[in-house]
Amino acid sequence: MEATIEVAGLRKRFGQSMALDGMSFTVTPGRVTGFVGPNGAGKSTTMRVILGLDAADEGTALVGGRPYTSLRHPLNHVGALLDAGALQPSRTGRNHLLWLAHSQGLTARRVDEVIEQLGLESAARRKAGGYSLGMRQRLGIAAALLGDPPVLMLDEPFNGLDPEGVVWIRGFLRSLATQGRAVLVSSHLMSELEDTAGQIVVVGRGRVIADTSVADLIATASDGQVTLRTTARSEAMTVLAHDGATVAATDRDTLTVSGLAAERIVTLLSQNAVPFSEVAAHRATLEEAYLDLTRDAVEFRAGAEQEAAR
Amino acid sequence: MRQELHAEWTKLRTLAGTRRLLFVIIMLTVALSAVASAAVTCPTAGCDHDAAKLSLTGIQLGQAVVAMLAVLAISGEYSTGTIRTTLTAMPRRTTVLAAKAVILAGLTLAAGTVAVLASVLAGRLILPGNGFTPAHGHPLLSLADGPTLRAAAGSVLYLALIALLSLGVATAVRDSAVSIGLVLALLYFLPTVIYMISDPDWQRLLWQISPTNAGLAIQTTTHLSSLPLSPWAGLGVLAAWATAALLGGGLLLRLRDA
Repeated sequence: MEATIEVAGLRKRFGQSMALDGMSFTVTPGRVTGFVGPNGAGKSTTMRVILGLDAADEGTALVGGRPYTSLRHPLNHVGALLDAGALQPSRTGRNHLLWLAHSQGLTARRVDEVIEQLGLESAARRKAGGYSLGMRQRLGIAAALLGDPPVLMLDEPFNGLDPEGVVWIRGFLRSLATQGRAVLVSSHLMSELEDTAGQIVVVGRGRVIADTSVADLIATASDGQVTLRTTARSEAMTVLAHDGATVAATDRDTLTVSGLAAERIVTLLSQNAVPFSEVAAHRATLEEAYLDLTRDAVEFRAGAEQEAAR
Repeated sequence: MRQELHAEWTKLRTLAGTRRLLFVIIMLTVALSAVASAAVTCPTAGCDHDAAKLSLTGIQLGQAVVAMLAVLAISGEYSTGTIRTTLTAMPRRTTVLAAKAVILAGLTLAAGTVAVLASVLAGRLILPGNGFTPAHGHPLLSLADGPTLRAAAGSVLYLALIALLSLGVATAVRDSAVSIGLVLALLYFLPTVIYMISDPDWQRLLWQISPTNAGLAIQTTTHLSSLPLSPWAGLGVLAAWATAALLGGGLLLRLRDA
């Protein structure tokens, strides 16, 4: 089976609100695709539609070219982690994996393999209700890997994890993608996907705002901006603004300048005897790039909240 | 369906509550049956008691626990969110419900058989001491006796049908508390209402469509002609309820977002 997820023109209405409003994107094998947007942007709903749990009013969602519900042993095609807390607390972790394995015609041997792969040996025979959030996430990922699927889909896997757990999941996701799998990971925090995702699908209000590689995204957000470090902030601002630059103070001693080349800035500051310690091309963080993109969506939401408060 | 059955069996088998509830079904059924057999006496010849039905009284209590077992088998998945995992692993939803129904019916039949055999045995041991003797027109309770065998086997089937009815209701309703409330109202409140109605035609009609009243007709071994429905027709009424509940639950399971 081809390792792809293809979502085209999904629309879904919940009462008054459009949860999905023309959601379209493709997830390709060999890299981690970040699925990012504010809470309520339609990420989880899209994943549920892909898995056939929710029905879309319009549009199609295909996994390896086929609708999910037509797959005979779906866990051999797609591994999904939607909600790590969705466990019956009185069942042990191993038995949770065991019934899932039996549903796919897999045996207990495969269960023990994924338990070992995820380092769950010591917890596997304890009741899942007593697991920490990090252990539940591991169990959820073990379940997703049971069928050794070419496609993986994880909804907010970083939620509630300690920094160690976040680093571990990032590394794990990268290694899954390196093996040639298609990996779709949702998050409401872009920074969580730093150094993990190669492709980013940014969503807001039920549709895709941007679908781009991480390198392009950062380049666009950094475009033509220069970071200037100086102790004489106001003098520098006056001089540069006089020459037509847009200057924003980002820190006590740093300015972000756009509209002027770095050489021109150095010349101007030297001519006017403004002291500075560093001039560098600005490299936007993933977070900044994301905020740039989603500003409209966020403003819309804040506006709506004010309306409601009135 | 084989893998769905295997998965649902593993699922139910690995829940601690399942074994406990099965044990409670047997204990309560046998306990109430024994108490009922011990409480009734037959001091004179020709006393008008249905000994077989009497020895199976515990079914009326055991059915409440059967209903709980069946409701929890599906609503426990909704309350924890496990249902999404289930339907992700097994997207053929009606097959999942069918597998659950088969496993539940099987477990209930097994527990019901033990409970019914022990109840009849208790009756056989206790009743003669209370005057249920051949001299008073009551031969020793025996499964070799046709009507008694029908009452006993029918009681086991009755419990299994109660399980299926409850599973169907819980699949449609999804919430544990509401489902158990609805099923218990159907099992206990409806018979009380029928008892309070004075109009005999209405009473008879409601009796005929009530799952407990009609269903428990299967236990009757005396005065069959005075029953509003024959024993097997009565059990058929309960079977119709169970089928309707499962069909309704299955349809909603298919149509609704999980």
